[in-house]
Amino acid sequence: MRLDELNKRVSVARRETEARGETFYPGPSRIHLAAFPPKERWDDWVELDSRAWPKRVERRYMLVPTTCFNCESACGLLAYVDRESLQVQKFEGNPEHPGSRGRNCAKGPATLNQITDPDRILYPLKRAGKRGAGEWVRVSWDEALDDIAARIRKAIVERRHNEIMYHVGRPGEDGFTERILAAWGVDGHNSHTNVCSSSSRAGYQYWMGLDRPSPDHANADVVFLISSHLEAGHYFNPHAQRVMEAKARGAKLIVFDTRLSNTATHADFWIAPYPGSEPAIVLSIANYLIENKLYNREFVRRWWNWEEYMAVERPETETTFENFERALKELYGGYTFEYAAQESGVEARVIEEIARVVSQAGTKFSSHNWRSASAGNSGGWQVTRTLFMLNALLGAIATEGGVFPNAWNKFVPKPIHTPPHPQTWNELTWPREYPLAMNELSFLLPHFLKEGRGRVDVYFTRVYNPVWTNPDGFSWVEALTDEKLFGCYVALTPTWNETAYFADYILPMGHGSERHDIHSYETHDAQWLGFRQPVLRAARERLGEKLDDTRAVNPGEVWEENEFWLELSWRIDADGTLGIRQYVESRERPGERLGVDEYYGYIFEHSVPGLPERAARENLTPLEFMRRYGAFEVRKKVGAIYEEVVPEEELEDTRADRFGRVYTRTAKPPTTNIVPIPTIDPDADGRRFVGVQDGAQVRRGFPTPSGRLEFYSRTLADWGWHEHSLPTYIKSHVHPDNLDEGQTVLISTFRLPVQIHTRSANAKWLDEIAHTNPLWIHTRHAARLGLQTGDLVRVETEIGYFVVKAWVTEGIRPGIVACSHHMGRWKLKDAAGQRQLMATVNLSHEGDEWGLQRERGVAPYASSDADTLRIWWTDVGVHQNLTFPVHPDPVSGMHCWHQAVRVRAADAADKYGDISVDTQKAHEVYQKWLSRTRPADAFSPDSTRRPYWLLRPLKPAREFYRLPDERELLSVE
Amino acid sequence: MELFRALAVIAEPPVGEAAPVAAALELGALPPASAYTELFAFQLYPYASVYLGAEGMLGGAARDLIAGFWRALKQTPPAEPDYLPVMLALYAHLCELEDTAQDETMRAGWRHARRAFLWEHLLSWLPVYLEKLSELAPPFYQKWGELLRRALLREAAATGGQDTLSLHLRESAGLSDPRANGLEPFLQTLLSPARSGMILTRADLTRAARTLNLGTRIGERLYIIKALFGQDAAQLLEWLAQEATRWAGRHRSQHAALSQISQAWTTKAEASAALLRELKLTAQDVA
Repeated sequence: MRLDELNKRVSVARRETEARGETFYPGPSRIHLAAFPPKERWDDWVELDSRAWPKRVERRYMLVPTTCFNCESACGLLAYVDRESLQVQKFEGNPEHPGSRGRNCAKGPATLNQITDPDRILYPLKRAGKRGAGEWVRVSWDEALDDIAARIRKAIVERRHNEIMYHVGRPGEDGFTERILAAWGVDGHNSHTNVCSSSSRAGYQYWMGLDRPSPDHANADVVFLISSHLEAGHYFNPHAQRVMEAKARGAKLIVFDTRLSNTATHADFWIAPYPGSEPAIVLSIANYLIENKLYNREFVRRWWNWEEYMAVERPETETTFENFERALKELYGGYTFEYAAQESGVEARVIEEIARVVSQAGTKFSSHNWRSASAGNSGGWQVTRTLFMLNALLGAIATEGGVFPNAWNKFVPKPIHTPPHPQTWNELTWPREYPLAMNELSFLLPHFLKEGRGRVDVYFTRVYNPVWTNPDGFSWVEALTDEKLFGCYVALTPTWNETAYFADYILPMGHGSERHDIHSYETHDAQWLGFRQPVLRAARERLGEKLDDTRAVNPGEVWEENEFWLELSWRIDADGTLGIRQYVESRERPGERLGVDEYYGYIFEHSVPGLPERAARENLTPLEFMRRYGAFEVRKKVGAIYEEVVPEEELEDTRADRFGRVYTRTAKPPTTNIVPIPTIDPDADGRRFVGVQDGAQVRRGFPTPSGRLEFYSRTLADWGWHEHSLPTYIKSHVHPDNLDEGQTVLISTFRLPVQIHTRSANAKWLDEIAHTNPLWIHTRHAARLGLQTGDLVRVETEIGYFVVKAWVTEGIRPGIVACSHHMGRWKLKDAAGQRQLMATVNLSHEGDEWGLQRERGVAPYASSDADTLRIWWTDVGVHQNLTFPVHPDPVSGMHCWHQAVRVRAADAADKYGDISVDTQKAHEVYQKWLSRTRPADAFSPDSTRRPYWLLRPLKPAREFYRLPDERELLSVE
Repeated sequence: MELFRALAVIAEPPVGEAAPVAAALELGALPPASAYTELFAFQLYPYASVYLGAEGMLGGAARDLIAGFWRALKQTPPAEPDYLPVMLALYAHLCELEDTAQDETMRAGWRHARRAFLWEHLLSWLPVYLEKLSELAPPFYQKWGELLRRALLREAAATGGQDTLSLHLRESAGLSDPRANGLEPFLQTLLSPARSGMILTRADLTRAARTLNLGTRIGERLYIIKALFGQDAAQLLEWLAQEATRWAGRHRSQHAALSQISQAWTTKAEASAALLRELKLTAQDVA
């Protein structure tokens, strides 16, 4: 046969095969990835049983996709469900997932440990004795649901909406629970974000309106990380694999990290700056670009809000771009390499070399910071703001190899029901002292309650453990044990945790392979949707069974939250009189409760462009397609949306203001992507903001009040923070100027790469790798204190101390110490708990003085898993966070984690793991930081509680943004 | 060109999923895995670096050069850029990029890349490799090899020759002289096709032992050839010289299509034959 004919024949065969959703080119010849089981064999995949070796025993599996529920990356997993036993044998990567592309970190496969954990909670439990006494009785789901529903109904009927609160750690989904709360009409969403990423978000939001970066690492020429992002952090697995691709291509990697982290070891340039000095260095790089005219002048001219800055701040000077450039030079001229060196302790010549590398990146410059320096320092939000300024100077925004606003790389599909915004404002989570807080002031809740600002009648925690995770955990214990402050506490958790001991109900919820959720994250320049599902339910449905309740396949009576929330809402308003039921009611079967099949079936059918067509090509419904593949790529290469020209049909009766903001009468076009985007105020005549004028055209611009990148934040200026209205360097609370004699800085924010907060406590594979958290201390520092590795050290904070072992290393900046927050799990004597990573402790309490003493570490034990008899480690680390007071940043509201501490050899009587805390002192520190705020009552420019355009989870109706005036307050009293 | 991607699949282990590809190529039923293993895992390793590298082993500078091609395209090289299926698939991908380019400038760029990859990294060794494969392979892989050879030669003709000899071949030295450098480097370079001008498989060494009535020791090729050398250096050198001469003739037969490349391989084989004959005269000293 002629080669041309043969070529055609192969092409036809390929098209036909791929149209059936099957794989034509397996293995490396696909060019993309190493071999995965071809998807047409996912129903019946044969592997040899490794345990039967050397016999060749075949085992048959169904491969069912789901999404990992450990960190926030939402990587794809593929569960190998044994066709005989219908149990999960292992988890591997899902090659169909666009974010993780079949690759996982250690935590993904360790999901198997979590679902087979012999210590997990399998049944609903109700407190039997005093709160915290550790006495529990098993109850039915019906009993728990009816009791909790009745309490919530009563609170709603009595107009006590603000006494219902849901406190979430890892959301693991996009908006489901927020809509449940909206259906109840409560402003009760309380996220953990202010102990996590608020600071970073603030820096990004003030620039581009959106609060997360989506770096296109894979295509960058220079990757700039202020973090240990290759090993930990949001989206680190999808990002790390792309950073490594860039490196393999020859890209340069710059890492700022005070520790020699795994990430630092991969860097071309690693510097270990003094904590908090990062913005000074970054601004010296910005100054270098400005001074040497190495910035993207045309981009800055077109897209920065320099005109607004000049008009408002320099009215005496003519508003021309040249004058702005002169101003820019003047503003940043002081940030020399020498100044940066003085602040950071990094040599000026090294900073200069980095500046040169940055200047050569052009628009292929990806940068990223999420926690790290921004989470550690007061004013840490200027870390991301100054870092993103480099992108803004280079024009590396939404370019190939640049940084995208997250919402452009994210797809949140419109659900079946959309309840309205709550008609209330909850001051326990959004107090008026913090009008610009990025998220709820969740970690101040015990102090607010103790001050009498309110009470919580029904308090849910979900995948959250504030006693252990938050600073000042003993203040949480004090509040949680006071039934006047917390009426009923419901812990939704798959595993025991330090907070759950103080609950009234513990309701067991599933792990990553035991529940439904949908996700979409900004892992690269694309939009994708991932589907988490109970894999055993999906497997049994493939075999022809019909299941309506995930409890039928989960171990014990473990449930999933989606079905739980739907059922609870149904019971709160069974007769529909409260107006809640309509949001959890089936459309297919009016009068019946909505089920998850209908919920997700609707979304996949109606709200995900391209999915129905893609599914139809394989003769599947959209829901069947997602159950089979676990992910769908909605869009590739989204590109620079800000450059998009607004079509004529959207430009009815437009007006442009003096800064080029364009408003239109045309209503917003409908979209099925409801990813949160700031709502910019309309003009005085009610026209909608639609874009910015660019010559003769109107372009989409950015979702900021100015429509452009906000070098100058009018919001900050107007709300009392004029001195921070530009990207600047704020000296941290741990800056040398702010330390007392003998104090040093403790870095507490870093993770251990294979662990994940509370959830991995009984992941035996992970525990064997990482189970303790010694204090990193530099060789010279240790010598000065007479310490050697393994010696006990007492670390004294403002409110107490902890005793930990030293790890003497060259891998940290001299004079700084560090201790990971990922360890130090504990359980009370005689209490249930996770026995692989929780020490048994005694709590002592006298007045405001709290003590925690370790009674014993972990040890081998007999269980359903023979491996628990092989536990060889005893040490599980120290719970340092208990000794940290709250440090809310007065602008972002973020807890500033770094601690000014004194470090010394432990006293003879000190024992490993000892903790001592004075909660009265903790309250005093809270008050000190509170006094630094600029409350809305005094500083709001428009009598509102908060700028409406700022993002906020579960936004109340607009009228509730208005501050109550004195008369209203009096009439209420 | 789709065909190359399909041919790439056949150079991978013959899993069931490859059956439709083999059918589309009219190669017939997939052979048993043992046939693949015998051919590709024991005789003709499907890695360019084995044939183009200075040591005749996997990896090294030859693999780096191929990885460099990926980098020049601003792509991330895979873990084994010199693995034959990956190379053929990359070539297919370059053809697709050329075909789907949106403007003539882009198309010309991809055409240039495709031509460079073809002449630099594929034609520099594959015709020699396929020549050897035609000797050793069972019918299924013979047909595959012949198809691949035809397709490559057609591409060679279509892309119009090369300006400069492939860097792999330009940079490679000849055999190491044992009189100057010792026995081991000499034997090692005999197993490096780019230096010796010939491919010596395990099967060839077994054939040598049988022909010369020597004992075969089981082990790596270097170990086998060293053992043969120890038994009768003079006879072995003569046998190797004949092999080199035979290879020179084979290379010459390709001159019409691949002039510079064939010339380079011919020169290497002839030089090897000459050195081997010279060494035979002083075989006692060499051993």
